[in-house]
Amino acid sequence: MSNLVQLTACEHQSLYLDPNKCGQHGSHLNMIPVVLSEFRQLITQYPIVLTKNGDTGAFTFVALLGFAEGENLFWHDDEWRSIYLPLQIRRQPFFVGPKDSETGEHPLCIDINSPTLSKEPKGSPLYGEQGEESEHLQEAKQHLAQLLRGEADNQAFLQLLQELKLLQPLSVEIAFEHANPTRLNGLYTIDEKQFNNLSDAQLLRLHRTQFFEPIYMMIASLGQIYSLIEMKNRRDSPVHNR
Amino acid sequence: MDKPTQKIVIVGGGTAGWITAGWLAAHHKVTSGSPVEVILVESPDTPSIGVGEGTWPTMRNSLIKMGISETDFIRECDATFKQGAKFSKWVDGSDDDFYYHPLVLPQGFTQHDLAPYWASLNAESNEKNKHSFSNAVCFQESVCEQGLAPKTIRTAEYSDVANYAYHLDAGKFSQFLQRHCTEKLGVTYLSAHVTGINEHCNGDIASLTTQTTDKLEKEIEGDLFIDCSGFKSLLLGQHYQVPFIDCSDVLFIDTALAVHVPYDEEDSPIASHTISTAQEAGWIWDIGLQHRRGVGHVYSSRYTDEATAMQALADYIGPKFDSLTVRKIPIKSGHRETFWHKNCVAVGLSAGFLEPLEASAIVLVELSAQMISEQLPANREVMDIVAKRFNQTFNYRWERIIDFLKLHYILSRRCDSDFWKDNRDPKTIPESLQDLMKVWQHRAPADMDFTSNNEVFPAASYQYVLYGMGFDTDYSVTSHLLNDWQYAHRQFAKNQHLIERATAQLPSNRELINKIKQYGFSQI
Repeated sequence: MSNLVQLTACEHQSLYLDPNKCGQHGSHLNMIPVVLSEFRQLITQYPIVLTKNGDTGAFTFVALLGFAEGENLFWHDDEWRSIYLPLQIRRQPFFVGPKDSETGEHPLCIDINSPTLSKEPKGSPLYGEQGEESEHLQEAKQHLAQLLRGEADNQAFLQLLQELKLLQPLSVEIAFEHANPTRLNGLYTIDEKQFNNLSDAQLLRLHRTQFFEPIYMMIASLGQIYSLIEMKNRRDSPVHNR
Repeated sequence: MDKPTQKIVIVGGGTAGWITAGWLAAHHKVTSGSPVEVILVESPDTPSIGVGEGTWPTMRNSLIKMGISETDFIRECDATFKQGAKFSKWVDGSDDDFYYHPLVLPQGFTQHDLAPYWASLNAESNEKNKHSFSNAVCFQESVCEQGLAPKTIRTAEYSDVANYAYHLDAGKFSQFLQRHCTEKLGVTYLSAHVTGINEHCNGDIASLTTQTTDKLEKEIEGDLFIDCSGFKSLLLGQHYQVPFIDCSDVLFIDTALAVHVPYDEEDSPIASHTISTAQEAGWIWDIGLQHRRGVGHVYSSRYTDEATAMQALADYIGPKFDSLTVRKIPIKSGHRETFWHKNCVAVGLSAGFLEPLEASAIVLVELSAQMISEQLPANREVMDIVAKRFNQTFNYRWERIIDFLKLHYILSRRCDSDFWKDNRDPKTIPESLQDLMKVWQHRAPADMDFTSNNEVFPAASYQYVLYGMGFDTDYSVTSHLLNDWQYAHRQFAKNQHLIERATAQLPSNRELINKIKQYGFSQI
């Protein structure tokens, strides 16, 4: 269980951070929320799709990591093996806390139960001897800032996709070499037919808002479903030849 | 005779009037330059009856047709989800006596009928292991019994996990449709009394003389007049004197006592089905909306008096009954001999009414609105042909509904009054229903019993009521209907699996309504 507390130099000065362990935060996830500004990196390996929040029904952009619940195909031998690690993972164990009613600011929080943190000298210290922020901490803050900005971009993109009716359910039947076939449910992607039928004015709008690129990236990223199938086939193969 | 049907005048602005206006305007694309014009005239001081609160899943299609967002509809019409009806105390009146008529078809129904297998298994089981028909073949009963919604907030609007209709506030619904029809669908609205009906020499209605509250007279011409004036049946009944076919010899209900019952708490559970509880000489409906329940006792004044009926309603509702206002509504069971006469067609209560046991009122409005919209006569010459078809279709539908409602009564073993005994008297049972009952002694109701394109209730509905009421079909001479036990066991197991999955996944009806109010559904 994560345990979020506000990060302060005096309380957390003695903590060490091992960024190689942050992948553990996603070891049992089969999808992870992503933001627009990382689509370009994500498409090298991940299918980018939408799913709906179970509580609110709101759409969320996610990178698909596996097919079954709890299945992260990028995770093996205690390691996240990928070229690019999604921001939601790289930012661990840092979080943006709820707005402070007095200062009006969002405090920086930390999950003190995170496997990346230790009181032993594993990794590098969070703070310098004078209490100055380490390079890693500064980097993490940048990641959080990128995520916050990204959430706003995501919403703008999403609104346009819905307004132009460019979303459709993604329904794929998938067969594996060594596992039972499965059906992908509850995922959504770009409706290419509708996309190709957009009017000149609508296309111009997409161009001006620079949302052409993410639409094409989402369409192209679906090909990575085959990479995931291949990863699962290899993982489940009786002859381990990873 | 070749005058095109372009100007359609609807008289009455209740549920019937606005559904018909919405269907016509949407189907004929009134807002995009169609020659068809839809005008609705509503008398400023005729209150709508406003107790029609139960719908069928067809309502989803009607709302989609009119381009209405399901989120808006649920937020503004006090609407909730309805997954069928629970009939309590209809069989013998004991406390644990109930069965369901759910909206989901029996498992595997389209391929192979499970009814014979269910009957056979039940005959072999001891009392404790018997499964009710609706629970053995349909997962929806468990969903209803647990007060769960038919979908989740992630399900797209108008899509479902389990088939559903709505319960709604009829008054709010009419106002909602009025706004939508006038603002989005191009329906013209006039608030005025109809003071005169002017005829052409062929007997067609040429125009209506109307008067607004500030005494302005206006004549409204039209090519087709739709009578949605409610029980008074202003055009078809009063003007044309089309006879009324009384069916109180089959269906004895003639009075309703209706109340609005507030919830104990703002967040009280909402039943996701209509509850219908049999009484000494009638039954009580109980419909859960967002802010209140609509409860009413319908009874036959031939078999009980108002004071007794009132007491039964008071007993059902409990202590808070004393603070509620009861409305008494007379019910005349039956329908007009024809519904479309010359250039006038009646939709809604002006066409007829039957007790609300299976929520047939609003669905008949939708079916009428759809047929008028789709078969709108091109001109006066073909109107009589369309009228004839319409009359045949709807006469058939009314007869089938009467049969189906009567079915609920004839198998009851209640004997607490002559109401129930007389209901079982063959003299009160239509021959068409008696024939079906004979056939079903040896096999279950099937689609081959209902072969018209205009059926209202599917064979599955007859199965739910028939076997819910404890009817025994004897398969000794029809054992070929039990030739695939492997399939049957698979389907029973699948139903069990669906029960587990649905009840684990679905939120409560109230919880989903709250989420819709907060977040809304997405379109996909």
